Amino acid sequence: MSTVEQPKEQDLIEYRVDRILEEPNTDTRIVVLARQDDALDTLPIWVGAAEGNAIKLALDTTITPRPMSHDLIKSFAEHLNITIQRVVIADVKSSTYYAMVHVASKGVERTIDARPSDAISLALRTHCPIYITRDVLKRRSTTNLDAWLAKLESKDIGTPEAQET
Amino acid sequence: MITQMQVKGLMFDPYNNAYIVVLRDEEHSDMLPIWVGKSEAGAISMSLENVTPPRPMTHDFMKSLLDAYNAKVISVVITDLSEHTYFAKIHLTYEDSEYTVDARPSDAIALALRCNAPVFANDSVITKQSSEELEQWLENLKPDDFGKLDS
Repeated sequence: MSTVEQPKEQDLIEYRVDRILEEPNTDTRIVVLARQDDALDTLPIWVGAAEGNAIKLALDTTITPRPMSHDLIKSFAEHLNITIQRVVIADVKSSTYYAMVHVASKGVERTIDARPSDAISLALRTHCPIYITRDVLKRRSTTNLDAWLAKLESKDIGTPEAQET
Repeated sequence: MITQMQVKGLMFDPYNNAYIVVLRDEEHSDMLPIWVGKSEAGAISMSLENVTPPRPMTHDFMKSLLDAYNAKVISVVITDLSEHTYFAKIHLTYEDSEYTVDARPSDAIALALRCNAPVFANDSVITKQSSEELEQWLENLKPDDFGKLDS
C-alpha cells in the first residue's frame, strides 16, 4: 500500500481546508490548507476542477441528490466498519504532493496511497484530521505565498506550479 | 430479472455536453445508454483503455481501500431510473457477509471495471429506455462515435 515511510507523530502538523480558489484560465482549483493553530501559515495545492468541486461540496456541506464518489467511499467504510483515522500529506516530488490515508478496522491499520484531493475530500466527509509532515512543509516552495495568493484572489491569474497529477 | 451488460464504450453527447456510457447485453439485442459527467466518463474511459495513471485516481483509491481489507466487489446492478437519474447497487462480500451499497451508476461501473466485476441491469430499466426517440438517436450515431472500444 505504502511507498512512503511512516512519519512519526511529532512530525505531523494539523491543517484544515481554508478555502478553494478557482483558476479559470487553466480550469484548475487551488485548495488552500491553513495551519490549525496558525491560520497565516498556508499551503496551496493545485487540483483538477472536478477534484476541487468534490472538495467544495464537502466544505460547504452540500447535500447532493445522489452520492458522489467520495460519499461512496465513506459509505463503503461505514458498511465495512472501517474508520478513516487521518490523512497525511506525506511527500512532495517534482511539485506533486502525495497523500496517505490511514484507516483502521478491528485494530488492523492500513495506509493507502492517495492523491491529496481524494484524501482531503474524504477527510472533510468523515471529519478526520488532515496533517502535513514537517518534511513536506520544509520542502515546499519558499516564495511568499500569502502575497502571491492575495494577488491571485484579486486578479485570478497565475500559473500552476504544483499541479496534482 | 436482471441482464448482464457489457460496457461497450463511451460517446460524447454534444447536445447535452455530456458523455454516454453505452451498455449492451451479450446478444447485442438490448442497449442501455447512461448519461454521465466529464470526470465520471474519464474514470470509466481510463479503465476501458487500460490506462495506468501516474497517481491513483478516485476509483483506484476506492479499490485500494476495499483491497486493504479483502472486501470483494461481486457485482454491480443498474437498478432504477427515475427523473432521468439512474440508481445502482454495488454488491460486496467482506468477512463472509454480503453488503449492498447505493451508488451512482458511473461510480459503480468505474469500480466494476477495475475489479473485473460483472455489470447487470434490471430489465425494467432496459425496457424504460426503449423509447422510439432514443433508438432513433442511437441509430443516427456512426460506429466511429463508439471509438476503438466497440469491438
